[in-house]
Amino acid sequence: MTRARTSPPRLNLPNPRQSRRGFLGLGLAAGIVLSLEACGGASTADSGSGGTKTIKWAWQLPTTWDPVTSSAGSDVQMLALAYDPLTALDEQGNAVPWLAESWAYDEAGTSVTFTLRPGLTFSDGKPIDAAAVAASIERGRTQDGSLIAPQMATIKKVSASSDLEVLVELSEVDYQYPLLFAGKTGMVVNPAAFEKDAAALATQPAGSGPFTVTSYVQNDHASMKKNPRFHLADEIKVENFDLYPQQDPSTAVASVRSGQFNVGRLGGAQVQQAKDAGLDVQVIDTMYISVLDVNATMAPFDDPAVVEAMKFGIDREKVREVAFFGLGDVNYQPFPPGYVGYNAELEDLYAYDPEKARQLLADAGYTAPVKGTFTSSGQSDPAVELIQAQLKEIGIELEIESIPPTQHTQLVYLEHSKALTYDGFAGRESPVQAFQVLFGAEGLMNPGRKTSPELEAQLEKVKKTPTDSPDYPALLQEATKIAVTSFPNVFLQLMPSAIARKGVSELPDLPSLRRFEGVTA
Amino acid sequence: MTTLRNLWAVPTARFALVVLAAVALLALFGEALAPHDPLRQYTDRVLEGPSADHLLGTDYVGRDVLSRLMTGTRLSVVGAAEAVLIGGALGIPTGLASAWLGPRLEWLTLRVSDTLVILPFTVFAIAVAGTLGNGLQQAMFAIGVLISPIFFRVTRAVALGLRRQQYVEAAELMGASQWWTLRKHIWSKVLPNVAVTAAQATGAALLVVASLSFLGLGVSPPAPTWGGMLASDLDYLAQQPWAPVYPGLLMMATVGSLNLLADAVREATGDAPRRRRKRRSPSASPSAGPSAAAPVNARKENADA
Repeated sequence: MTRARTSPPRLNLPNPRQSRRGFLGLGLAAGIVLSLEACGGASTADSGSGGTKTIKWAWQLPTTWDPVTSSAGSDVQMLALAYDPLTALDEQGNAVPWLAESWAYDEAGTSVTFTLRPGLTFSDGKPIDAAAVAASIERGRTQDGSLIAPQMATIKKVSASSDLEVLVELSEVDYQYPLLFAGKTGMVVNPAAFEKDAAALATQPAGSGPFTVTSYVQNDHASMKKNPRFHLADEIKVENFDLYPQQDPSTAVASVRSGQFNVGRLGGAQVQQAKDAGLDVQVIDTMYISVLDVNATMAPFDDPAVVEAMKFGIDREKVREVAFFGLGDVNYQPFPPGYVGYNAELEDLYAYDPEKARQLLADAGYTAPVKGTFTSSGQSDPAVELIQAQLKEIGIELEIESIPPTQHTQLVYLEHSKALTYDGFAGRESPVQAFQVLFGAEGLMNPGRKTSPELEAQLEKVKKTPTDSPDYPALLQEATKIAVTSFPNVFLQLMPSAIARKGVSELPDLPSLRRFEGVTA
Repeated sequence: MTTLRNLWAVPTARFALVVLAAVALLALFGEALAPHDPLRQYTDRVLEGPSADHLLGTDYVGRDVLSRLMTGTRLSVVGAAEAVLIGGALGIPTGLASAWLGPRLEWLTLRVSDTLVILPFTVFAIAVAGTLGNGLQQAMFAIGVLISPIFFRVTRAVALGLRRQQYVEAAELMGASQWWTLRKHIWSKVLPNVAVTAAQATGAALLVVASLSFLGLGVSPPAPTWGGMLASDLDYLAQQPWAPVYPGLLMMATVGSLNLLADAVREATGDAPRRRRKRRSPSASPSAGPSAAAPVNARKENADA
């Protein structure tokens, strides 16, 4: 039996079941279209292209906006958006003027006078004079909980000797301060802010940098606008800077391509993908070097032979090629080539030699595989797995232990409870400071807390030598050699910063800090 | 045997059993059958596509993907099974006890069950892993504890329905011990419901295990797991867009089969087959035993909860 239609089909209302199906079908089709669009189709909403005058970078958020309590070396990059240091570093790592237009040590080398540029102001309009700078430095070296105070241990007194001259008196000769003041240690915080409420600086920075923070949501984003009172404001070509945490590498290219961000950090696996997507890819040399933190008080690394074998047993070139798609350069020391502390003698110091590694273990009496634990906080799982496999080949069998990135500082740096950890060193403005972090008695990346009298004596010589002295490079490079050959840290490779840009001009190629003078969007 | 015959009569059950048998085979012998060492890194052949040497290609450090899938089956499946066993061990006895051993225990077990139900699986497992250490056993214990209320509620619901059956009351009046009654009259009726629940819970646990390994919890690299492989594949979508499909398909097939099997078990032991048989042969006598009532009660109890 067939059912006769009682009305034209087009006017016939569908029954609820058909309607639901139709709706679901339409919804599915719309979802597919939207998904495909989001997955990298040509975006029509090109908010990231030229003319927006806004940089939107999924880069990283600082642990705090207060340079005094910042607990991560890499924070300096973000803090430099809101604060100005007294000095800056050039491409070779030499101190150059920034807020201070000049500085001079006395004859004995126990005091240094920084002369400020005239007419400087904080973002709230208050003047940056010598008194403000002295107060800022004084807070950094005396405030409870200051994480920069140890770097200023040799400062005896800070005072304003005139409106523009800051006198830093030292308890011993130390020519590193102009370098040291190029980083967090030298960032000038507005006294009006910390005298009123120092704790508020964690979320409301008060400096004189190129941008001022207008809104900040922890772990989410920071919105900034151009600071017209920045001393190089004419060179800041963008009006806004939106900072976000680093996105998942798998979405880095899509997020820049779609216009969600107009600058994104790339991993080695995404570089070609970004180029294929038509994005501008820039690889910037940095001071960052990947390194294995070795706790020489914990087995099996309490045996120097095991550590030595490990240094020879890692095929760094293979790790670079496979884990980082060829990005970066193999390096056996904490400084990049061209830097004043780089020691050319160490160029092939621990070149891959598995036979030598096995022999070292055999000579030390190991007949069975050496067992241990290798901690990873997810910085580079491929590199960790490659190193584990390479060390197994020479007779060091390590079990990988994964810890959350948020526990890395606590477990590795503070508790020193991990024997071997994959880590990275972001570099420091002063090479002596870098040595203190890596090899000092209180160094964060010296988990075994072992020290070397020979290195300490050499560093004393370095500190007592003016940085422009012809003897300075040789003394520093000797310190590098002592450290690299006597400490267990295993340096792996220099890691450049690869970024994808869309509608944003090229970033200045400085290894120490990302600067945005002259950058357009 | 009748239940098994009924089960095999359901086409979807046959399909599910075949798939699950294959997964079980992989779980038992996957590592031995794998064509390559799943941890061997062919670093000159990184991120290659399928070839004669590597049928499903290689991963980001050059390991054979097929071998890792086969070997990873054991950790993925055993982890889920372990969680379900823990859940069953905690949930079933307490479910029976709450229906049988008086109102105080009933009140206590219900409150504990209610509390556990509100805890989110993944977050709780992460918290346990953070506290007890990041290992498969810790994660599975956490998942097992959270799965236990499912067993508790199903068991309790069935037991409550049976508690009021005349033949159970008669046995008690005639002096049967509680243990005897539970063993003889209750357990055989509870078991099919537990089997259905276990199948569904295994599917859910499998996904949670995969989610945890996706997040880097439970199993440490380089040990292969389906979730871990899926997570690492996502970082190389530009090079191998097809790679996540392999572990995804395995997960989908396993979880789907477990759900099909759960449906089929319910059908083979509950009302549905009888209704079907009734339709086929109207003269067949309907069963009025407690086994027919139990799932209905179970569903009602669940709906109330």
